[in-house]
Amino acid sequence: MSVASIIGQALVLFGTFFYVLSSLGLIRMPDVYNRMQTATKSATLGSLGVIIGTGIWAIGEVGSYSWIPKTLIIAVFLLLTNPIAAHALIRAAYKSGVPLWEGSIVDRYKEAESSLERVEEIKEKLEEPSQEVETNE
Amino acid sequence: MVKRILAIVFILIIGFWMAKALDQVPFGQDRMLVGKYYLEHVKEETGAVNAVTAVVVNYRGFDTLGEVTVLFIASTGVAALLWRKKRKRTAKTEGSVVLTTGARLLLPFIMLFGVYIFIHGHLTPGGGFPGGATIATAFLFLYLAFTVYEVDHKIFEPLEGLAGVGYVTVGLIGLAIGGYFLFDWIWQTWGIGKENIGRLLSAGFIPIIYTLIGIKVGTELTGIVDNMIKEPEEGGQ
Repeated sequence: MSVASIIGQALVLFGTFFYVLSSLGLIRMPDVYNRMQTATKSATLGSLGVIIGTGIWAIGEVGSYSWIPKTLIIAVFLLLTNPIAAHALIRAAYKSGVPLWEGSIVDRYKEAESSLERVEEIKEKLEEPSQEVETNE
Repeated sequence: MVKRILAIVFILIIGFWMAKALDQVPFGQDRMLVGKYYLEHVKEETGAVNAVTAVVVNYRGFDTLGEVTVLFIASTGVAALLWRKKRKRTAKTEGSVVLTTGARLLLPFIMLFGVYIFIHGHLTPGGGFPGGATIATAFLFLYLAFTVYEVDHKIFEPLEGLAGVGYVTVGLIGLAIGGYFLFDWIWQTWGIGKENIGRLLSAGFIPIIYTLIGIKVGTELTGIVDNMIKEPEEGGQ
């Protein structure tokens, strides 16, 4: 048992622990957005731990360093793609009208959209003759 | 309800018979007849370390040519079914900034990985078809992230045809040199890379054919996506 093996095994254990946490979160959380939150963050972290841990474990076990670049590339790729995928999924869920959990308090996105609509309305009114805008005010 | 129960009963009967038949096949025993020959002779006969790609391209090259033909017919069939003179993408919602930036950022990496897969077909798992599918995935990513993106058809379709012609040409050169179609002339006659087994420049014509297949599959799947994602313009026929 070399130091590298022990570090690798600890990292793999760490990663699997976060995998379990993320699957627990999938059952436990109330709505889509909270579930995506747990699934994305802890599953990404867990995968990073497992992948890099495997690379370090291979140094101690096999004595070859050739696993490290491969695992690092996979880890970086996962780190880049997983948040983008989660972002696209959540955005699509919001746009197709999946409701928020009834316990959530603020929906700033909706507020921003409605204020944008108000800006559009005001712009349309501004394009009409200016005295009308004055009377409206 | 009766229909569903009947279907389940029939499927159970079929599954039982299949399990009964497969029960006769020994599992985990060394009963290979042809497989043993492949495993023992693959290195000196083809130069490939990956026995699967050696079988697929070298020993059973006709099947791969058939598969490529099937894909080509599928692509052409989709294009013929959906053919209109004026077709345009009608997508309205642009992907979010995160998505478009991510697509731009990841595109070269996905392409590079696809190229890596089909160039290293004789060394690592994979080959032309997975590599081509990966490249097509990169283009699908662009198609989904941007509303206006479209591949350059003046380059794409000729490239697809040229790759297919290249495959047949390699086979025909083998016919001219060795006497039968898809004869591995680079390995058997020229002997390039004989002492290089296990490295990139080995395995006769497997990397060449897989490069051609990768280009062909990538452009074909992209073409299918391109055809399916476009809709006829208003009034255009």
